[in-house]
Amino acid sequence: MIRAASSPDVHKRSVRMPGGRIAVYAVLTLIALGTLFPLLFLSINSFKDQGAIVAEPMALPKDWSFVYISEALSQINFGQAAFITAGITILSVGLIVFCSSLLSWMLVRNNSTSSRGLLLVLTAAMLVPFQSLMYPLIHQFESFGLKNLPGLILMYGGFGLGMSVFLYHGFMRSVPLALEEAALIDGASIGSLFFRIVFPLVQPITVTVIILNSLWIWNDYLLPFLVLGNAEHKTLTLELYYAKMLAGQFSNPWELIFPAVLGSIIPIVVLYVFLQKYFIKGVTEGAVK
Amino acid sequence: MSGYYKKWFWPLALPGLILFAAVVLVPFLIGLFYSFTAWRGTYFVGGSAWSSFVGLENYARIFQSRQFLHSLVYTLQFTAMAVISISVAGLLLALMLDYAGKRVALFRTIFFLPNLLGGLALGFIWQFIYQNVFNRIFGEGGLNIEFLTNMTQDSTKNLFALVIMVTWQMAGYMMIIFIAGLNNIPRDLYEAGSLDGVNMWTKFRYITLPMLMPSITIVLFLTLASSLKLLDQNVALTNGSFNTSMLSLQILRTVRYTQPPDYGQAQAQAVVFFILVAIIGLIQVYITKKKEVDA
Repeated sequence: MIRAASSPDVHKRSVRMPGGRIAVYAVLTLIALGTLFPLLFLSINSFKDQGAIVAEPMALPKDWSFVYISEALSQINFGQAAFITAGITILSVGLIVFCSSLLSWMLVRNNSTSSRGLLLVLTAAMLVPFQSLMYPLIHQFESFGLKNLPGLILMYGGFGLGMSVFLYHGFMRSVPLALEEAALIDGASIGSLFFRIVFPLVQPITVTVIILNSLWIWNDYLLPFLVLGNAEHKTLTLELYYAKMLAGQFSNPWELIFPAVLGSIIPIVVLYVFLQKYFIKGVTEGAVK
Repeated sequence: MSGYYKKWFWPLALPGLILFAAVVLVPFLIGLFYSFTAWRGTYFVGGSAWSSFVGLENYARIFQSRQFLHSLVYTLQFTAMAVISISVAGLLLALMLDYAGKRVALFRTIFFLPNLLGGLALGFIWQFIYQNVFNRIFGEGGLNIEFLTNMTQDSTKNLFALVIMVTWQMAGYMMIIFIAGLNNIPRDLYEAGSLDGVNMWTKFRYITLPMLMPSITIVLFLTLASSLKLLDQNVALTNGSFNTSMLSLQILRTVRYTQPPDYGQAQAQAVVFFILVAIIGLIQVYITKKKEVDA
């Protein structure tokens, strides 16, 4: 009787009131506009001169002039900085994926007290704030002649390791040992065992490791600031920082800063538009463990 | 079989372990030790690290420093506000998207977008918004809400400015995690609820919330860690002016504003910072894990 009385859409999780869904869509649309507002605001003001930005910040530009954007892009050495940032990100993430996947595999397959201890130390490192080791780190690397781009990549490699091992380790435990045993009986080498059996199987978590590490390395400010400083070869974020700081804290030339910010965020936004499926999946996978 | 993997353990694990030791473990241990010395960055006052050992002197000094204590309290205030604000906003977004059902991919994409951008770039945009747009909308002649004007020129107001900004930035990330959690809740739990005729609030309170505990653990962990360690947005918005330095920035500033740069003292602040983050992180994981089991 009760069963018959319940509506056919009982499998849906909440009772839907008529109009309720439209109201939710309306609220979501408003929030979406609010979320986009600072970015739209940034975009329209990248086409205006200082006077127009300060006097009428919300108005559309009178003429869409690209002069401020091209000025700002050359000010922050956009081409070179984007190339350097991309290079650092790709090499660092490659290093992280290589080292952490192999390390996690060995930790999973040698499940002893000492490897559980190692895993604990590696994951506990996620709690260590960068500030508590940055000065000794920079100091040590400088004495080895590594206060430069290669050193920066090694540092990212070490920092990304904790979280990445945590993610890989959780995922690799579900890779059946029997698969590897079968491959070994067929005479597979350790290299093909890893790269042809294990690595393809853990591909979803590799996407996560790549996305999460790329995001912070691409945008990171502090480490390049400490390692590279105001050197000739800077990352995008660092170029942006110096463009703003050298222009002065209180007399802000927004006609330079807005297009510079726009330039510095465009590469990652374009990437996101094309690869958003992987971004969302990567983040989700990382959260579910 | 286990002998085979044992044979390969060191060759394959070593690259990662060396990298970890060189970048994280060794500098961390050295940093612990240096916090008890008169380290000046390029040299030690007593000649070598051992002979410039000063015991707890650096720690005694930082706990007398008003700037350090202020940044400590400021960081805790910010963290408490930001964690609540980001988690609640992320949960509300997830529940709304879940309720709306299909055709929400575009919303999801938009809400996640601010996460891609660096804190520095975002901070510069928001600085202008707070200093110009907010003053225009909420200032005299506008809505006349004094609290929302000149938000970056006052320690307390800037706290709210930072919270608004990081909520805008991070809520979308937490939303994704909550959505994954909501999708893991078995539908028949809600069916059972519907059959028993319970209302929406009861369902949320007694089905959704307990079942979401794993997601809540992760969200709290991520928001706590990122709020406690926040630096870029702090640099971009005020760079510490008007008593607005959080701990990360305070540690950077200590070596810039002491002559010769007092790295020993900065290192002591950094160790206190680590202990704070570790304790809060462990307590949080312990409590929420316990709730997960109970639920």
